[in-house]
This record gives sequence, C-alpha cells and structure tokens, in this order.
Amino acid sequence: MTPEILVIGELRDGQPSDASREAAGVASQLAAGAPVRGLLIGSPSEPATAAWGRDGISEVCYLTAPTAAALPAGALVPGLLSLLSERPADLVLLPSTTFGRELTGALAARWDAGAATGVTAITRGTGGWEVRRPVFGGRATETRLLSGPRAVVALRPRGFPTPEARELTPVSAQRPLSEADPMGTTLVGTEPMVTGQGPSLSDAPIVVAGGRGVRSADQFHLIEELAAALDAAVGASRAVTDAGWRPTSLQVGQTGRTVTPQLYIAVGISGAIQHIVGMIGSRVIVAINSDASAPIFKVADYGIAGDLFQIVPALIREIRRVRGR
Amino acid sequence: MEIVVCVKPVPDPETRLKPSPDQRTLDTEGVKFVLAGYDESAVEQALLLRDQVPGSTVRAVAYGPAPRTPEILRSCLALGCDAVTHLEAPAPVDDPIAVAAALGHILAPRPAELILVGKQSLDDEEGLVAPALGALLQRPSFSSVTDLRWSPERSRFTFQRSTDTAIERWEALPPLVVGLQQAWNDPRTAKLPNILKARRQPIEAVPASAIAAAVGGRTGRSLPLKFELPAPRAGARMIDYTTPDEAAQRLVRILREEAKVFP
Amino acid sequence: MVDFSLTPDQESLRELARKFARSEMAPHAAEVDRTGRFPEEIYRKAWELGLMNLNVPAEYGGTGLGLFDQCLIVEELAYACAGMTTSIIANCLALEPIILGATPEQKDRWLKPFCADYHLASFCLTEPSGGSDAAALKTRARRSGDEYILTGEKCFITNAPHAALFTVFATVDPVLRHKGITAFVVPRESAGLLPGREEEKMGHRASATSTVRFEEVRVPATQRLGAEGEGFALAMRTLDQTRTPIGAMATGISQAALDLAARYALQRTTFGKPIAEHQAIQAKLATMAQQLTASRLLTWLAAWTIDRGARGTLESSIAKCFSSDAALRVADEAIQTFGGYGYMKEYPVEKLLRDAKLTQIYEGANEIQRIVTARELLKRYA
Repeated sequence: MTPEILVIGELRDGQPSDASREAAGVASQLAAGAPVRGLLIGSPSEPATAAWGRDGISEVCYLTAPTAAALPAGALVPGLLSLLSERPADLVLLPSTTFGRELTGALAARWDAGAATGVTAITRGTGGWEVRRPVFGGRATETRLLSGPRAVVALRPRGFPTPEARELTPVSAQRPLSEADPMGTTLVGTEPMVTGQGPSLSDAPIVVAGGRGVRSADQFHLIEELAAALDAAVGASRAVTDAGWRPTSLQVGQTGRTVTPQLYIAVGISGAIQHIVGMIGSRVIVAINSDASAPIFKVADYGIAGDLFQIVPALIREIRRVRGR
Repeated sequence: MEIVVCVKPVPDPETRLKPSPDQRTLDTEGVKFVLAGYDESAVEQALLLRDQVPGSTVRAVAYGPAPRTPEILRSCLALGCDAVTHLEAPAPVDDPIAVAAALGHILAPRPAELILVGKQSLDDEEGLVAPALGALLQRPSFSSVTDLRWSPERSRFTFQRSTDTAIERWEALPPLVVGLQQAWNDPRTAKLPNILKARRQPIEAVPASAIAAAVGGRTGRSLPLKFELPAPRAGARMIDYTTPDEAAQRLVRILREEAKVFP
Repeated sequence: MVDFSLTPDQESLRELARKFARSEMAPHAAEVDRTGRFPEEIYRKAWELGLMNLNVPAEYGGTGLGLFDQCLIVEELAYACAGMTTSIIANCLALEPIILGATPEQKDRWLKPFCADYHLASFCLTEPSGGSDAAALKTRARRSGDEYILTGEKCFITNAPHAALFTVFATVDPVLRHKGITAFVVPRESAGLLPGREEEKMGHRASATSTVRFEEVRVPATQRLGAEGEGFALAMRTLDQTRTPIGAMATGISQAALDLAARYALQRTTFGKPIAEHQAIQAKLATMAQQLTASRLLTWLAAWTIDRGARGTLESSIAKCFSSDAALRVADEAIQTFGGYGYMKEYPVEKLLRDAKLTQIYEGANEIQRIVTARELLKRYA
C-alpha cells in the first residue's frame, strides 16, 4: 500500500526553501510513484508551484491567512487537523527548522502521531516509519521506529540531496486559515541573521586551522578568509603560534585547546600527534596538504593533496558561490 | 507570577557513549544523570524572572524514573526552586509527545503564567516537548527563545526567537510556553549549604497511575531500534582533481551531500 | 557491615567540588604556577560556593562537615591545583584551634565573620628555629595586666600576606617547654604584627607563604584560647584533625598524575604501538594505581575513624605519610611516562612533582609522622 504523504514547506523569497525541496524529494521517493501533496504557508505563487512540481509535488496547497507570517506554529494546527480529516495522510514531512520542529511537536500532539526531528534517513518499516537521527551532539546515531498509523517527521536540512528534476505540472489550490488564532502573541520585528565576528573555538560547529604549510603570518589570512566564508572559528597548530604568526589562544593540540566541531579543516598541518589529540573528536576532518604522505591524512575523512595556495582560494570561491554571497 | 520549569535527567556530558548489549540504546551502566544544557538555562531564567517579579514562585517538574529524576529535582531545589514535582515512571520515557502528555495532564489544572522548557535535551535533541505541551494546553509555544523578559507595565512577555535566517522579536500575553535557548546569565552553581539543605526538602510525588490515562495511548509509539557510534577512522578518502576549482567543487559537494556537515 | 559507597549527599558534595575545580581552578593552574600570582578571585568564588571553612559548625554559619566529607572535597580541589587547595584549606587549619578550644563567645566573635564574608586566616606554629620541634618554640607571650605582649617570629605561614586573622602559638615561659605554650587569636590590624615578603616556592605557588614577625603585639586576654599552657595540646588536637585532609590533597595529586600518564600512554606511539602496550609502562601505571588506591583508602579510613569520635592519630599519621610519599612517587612515574615531554614546563605533569613534595614536609613532616605512628602503635602492645 503506497503511503499518503503530505509535505509542509516554507517559502523563502517566493520559492520553496532548499530544505523544503529536499523534503519533497524524500517524499516522492517514499511515495514510489504515488502523488505527493504539498502545503506552503503564504500567498499562491506560480514560480513556487512550478519549482516544487519539479521536486515531485503533484498538488500544492497554499494556506493563507491575513497575518500568516506572524503566527506561532501551534496556531496552524486546527487548520491542519481539518485539512487532514478531509484528506488523510500517513506521513507529514517538513524541514527540521525552528518552525518545522515547533509544528512537528504541536501537530503530533494534537493529531496523536509519532514524531521525530533532525531526521537524516527515513524508510518504511514493519508497523511504522524507521527514522535515523543524530543524538548526543552528533556523537552517536539512533534509529527509531515510529509505530502507529500516523507520523510527523522533520528532516534535517542539508541532510538529503537536492531532488532530481521531475516533469510534473502540479495543481495549485488555496485554503484560508480561518481557525488560526495568534493567542495573544504579536511579531514585533525581524532582523536578518548577521554573520559577524565568527564563533569561539570551543563551541564553533566548524573550525579551520592552519599550520606551518601556510608559510608566513601574512599568508595565514587565507585561513581566516576560508573560516569567514564558512562562519567558522580559526585555529592554529603549535608551529604557527611558536612562530608568533598568531596568538596561543588559537592553538589546537595537546598543550593547547581541544575542539570537537562538526567539521575540522586542517590546512598545511602535517598531523603530528600533539596536534591530532586536540581535534580527533571532530565529526568530519578534511586535510589539505602538499605532502600526500603526511600523517594528517591517516586521521582525516577526506583529503586533498596539493598546493594550498591554489586549493584554498578555489575553496573560498566555491563556498561563497554555493552560499550565495 | 507562577513559573513552571520542566526538566529532564540526561547523561552527564562527560559520559563515554557505548551501545547497550542489545545495541538498541545507550548503555546506562554506571552513567551519572544530571540537569544539564538548555534545561540548566531554563532553571536559571525561571529563577531570574522570579526574583524580578515580587511574590513569584518557581516549581520544577520532571517525568521519569527514580533515582535519576528525583536527583535532578534536588539539584533544582539546591539552585533555588521553591518547589519540585516528580511525575513517576517505572522506566525512562523517551517519547517526547508522551512526556508532553504527562506534563500537560498535571499542569492543566495548575495555573502558571509561564512554562519554561529547555529548547532540547542533550541526549535526544528532539526539541518537541515545548511545542507539544503548548498544543495540549492550548497555549502559544515558541522555541529557540532568548532574551525573555517580563514587562510589568504592559503585563506581557517579550522575547527573541532565533530561526536559521533571522532573529524575530515577539510579544506575548501570559500564559506562555517557551523552549528556551539562552538565559540572561550563565546558569548559577548551587552552593554547598543549599545542596545539603535540598536533601531535606520535600518532593511532591505523582504516582504513575495518575498519569497512566494521559500517557497510555502513546505506549510503544517511539521504539529504539539501534544506537550506533561512528565507525573508527580508516584514513582519508583522497579527492582526485585536475584543477583546483574542480577539487574545491568536489569537496564542497561531498561535504554537503555525503558528510552532511556543510552549512 | 562496611560500605565503601558514597551517600547521595556525598555524591553531591563531590560533584560540586569537582565542577568548581575543573571549571574555575584547572584553567588557571598553569598560569598561576608560572607567575606565582595569588588568584584571589578564585578563592572568593570558592568561598561563595561554600567550599571554604568546611569545618566551622552550623551554629556559627558554617556547614560543619565531617572529616570524610571534607576529604572528598579536598581531593577534588587538589586534582585541579594543589597550591590553590592549600590556601583554601589553610582557613580550616587556622580556625580549628578556635573550634576546639574557644569559649562560645569567642567562637561567636571569631568564627562568624568567616561565614558571613570572604576572609583568609593563618595558623602560626612553625618558627625559624623549630618546625617539627614545636615544643621548643620561642615566640614569647608576656602577661601585662589584661593583655599579653607577643614577641617573636613565625615562618612558612600559609596565607600570611593576605590573612585577616592569625591563630598564634606562643610561650608564656620557655622553661616550661610545652606546658608554657598558649594559643591566641590575633587580627591583622594589631600593631606590630608584620607579615614578611612572600616566599618564592618550588610548588604550591598559588598559595602565598611568608614569615610573620610579632613586635610587641598587644593581645587582650580575651583573645587567649583556653588557659595558659593548654596551647600545645590544642595544637596537637588541631593537627589530629588536619593531618587527614593532607592525605586527600596528596591523593588528588596522585589521581591527576595517573590520569595524565594513562591518557598519554594511549596516544603516544613508539616502536609501532602505543606505549601503553609496552610492559615497562604498564608496570609503571599499575604501581601508580596501587599507590593511588591505597592513598585514598587510607585517607578514607582515617577520616571515618575520626568522624566516629576517635582521635585517629594512628590512622591519620599513616594516611598523611603514606599518601604524600605515594604522591611523590606517582608524580615521578608520571613524568617518566611522558619522557622528555614530562620535563618540559609546557606540559602539566612536572608541576605535580613539585606540588607533591610539599605534602611530605608540611602539616607534620613525614619523619615526625613515622614517630607518631610508632608511638601510637606501641601503645597497643604495651
């Protein structure tokens, strides 16, 4: 029996967000050919409908309300429940964003459904949906069975590939959210997230560290540029701090700081044990070094053997391009 | 103002993670359970608001098995909470919706202008209790909240909500449910005399039978199948390339799609 | 039935001390050791959390912890930095004679301020001419009406450069030897009380140590603890209480040394494998673990014995002597495990040897501890 799947997406600049598109891709895979419905909160938009159609959504419904953007997620639940009672679904998928997680909790509670957030893989299992998700800050992964007839699952953004383009021309519909009640709340203002100074070494999700291969204090700016492009913290090997190119507060290693970011990029660092012990707890390690036999490549997950003065600028360009800056 | 803060015992952040013998869950043998992470911030914020508004009280509530659950409630008393309630459970409850159902059942008849929950717990990191609780109690709920303030002149809460792209500023009339990300201050440390005093303070205990009806339907909804640690490192996968740009593109794609770390 | 497990209360105390030690003391230990700075801000935080003055009874505002509970805390603090711990527990040493020998009015007057606000105190027994030979102390206390006039010099006094209060042992008549020794409480403001220049020490550099000169210091008779001639017994009873926490101090140092050595041994590879797989290193680690475990258990036994009301002189002298000798050995083996790196000040392990050394010397040198042990022991065979 093919599951009935509803994808709830978010609009960003008149288009479904990247994470909403990934969710659509996952839904159409799980539906295995059966139609997938999508829901967007906001005014109907031709380009949005078309874009989501390419991702596998065959029917896009727009939930409209006079102040749709300024409602707490829970206010949407009564409207969603009546929609779901008219057109039942087995699975509701959404992006695991702040809004997505709030809606997952509120909907699952009132719809009496299984629920999970931050999910990185989902398959149909016996008696329910099997979901995989990182736990303990990414130090472990759990697989759960959400058993029962219904589930609401929030998918980790960038956890899934961008869907392959499909040929669908989706049907578009509109549905007013008349039951939405802001419950005494008011959105007073919004400020876009400013990418500022850069996070601190101890809690940054990404660290870019430079070593002796960077050759001079001036050229170390390449490391800082790469870090800025990633909103990452900057680290250094002992060789760099000994040489006085950067202060010891940036030193990662046995006699410096121990860091456990999601991503550690070691540039021009050979990989002596004194440095390794300071970063071995990182989830993913990337090494860039001119010497293919450098010990750093034994502990890294991915490596590029080459001239960092060519590779790093190329990396900065690619990252800026991909992040739309 | 009546403030309720919902907390959860989680494994001490220093714990070495190991799968249980049946590989389904974390091995909890010898693991110390503590109040930690966003829950600590939630308690701190509750105490700060209490001190700001004369005549207010803070009650900490937790749903889970003994001894770990009453132990963290004692930590809440040592930190300065006025009262604590233990919703008893024979075993750890790892379905956040069930937790919300239990909490909702007990809190519904008790008026509270503010219910604070840590944005997500250190272990499962689901972040579902605050929104589910709000929905069940039919109160507005917001997550990823910082800078939570009470305005006595206007009798309402003001706060910020962080999304991936923006920081929103909101106002809300009580009653309110908040998934807190950060308090005004770093969480305080309980002082030694208060730790000793907390031992002798009462804990309100609600037996599992009183919650059974609320939670009953959720039994078995969320079942752990596997708990895995990442595989040990086998050496770098070297990226082939002919031009630096190609190397960069390949790496970025791998980081986004395969390693799933790229923002 | 013997039970080695801790009560939930004890777990909480240990947890508080551990959290404070790891987050507030440890990050500054190396810098304070290098510069010899007196980290007053850390001591204030310790006071705020209730980790100082552990022995002051509840009726004077303290928590009146038993010795076992004190030792749990001291071990955790010493793990992070023995020097800081020395200054923190020096208050307990200085206040103990007041707790043991003062009148209720005196306790009220001199103990309460320590629980009401942050203050440091110093215990003044040792003199340039005699440390172990305490009965031969020379500082004079000459009676003059309703005052005593103190003249003399004390040395190696912990906290002296910063202390608000000094517990001083002086003699009313040297001819009487230990029967002339009398204890006094002397506030810093007293005219003629002159703390000396801070000493530059081998270890425990976070703790400030100096001489204290008494130049005709006038001390009201109301500040005498107990009767004239009771001071020596008071000092001995004090040391009966404070010996055991030094066992805990030494145990904390040993634990820190073992943790560093074991972790390093798993990371460092030579001859194709981690050095932890070489038998020579395994033998070292095993010896260190034996010494550490024994230190802790001897300390626990002494503390438990004293908490039950016994004097515990035998147990505490054994605990202090063994644990301090063990700490020196364990720290030494830890340096050896690190090899050349262990000799470098950049690595945290050489500090442990320098800190361990003092535990063999102060609070009753180990030579004296052995005499004390033998004396107590032989009583049982007499």
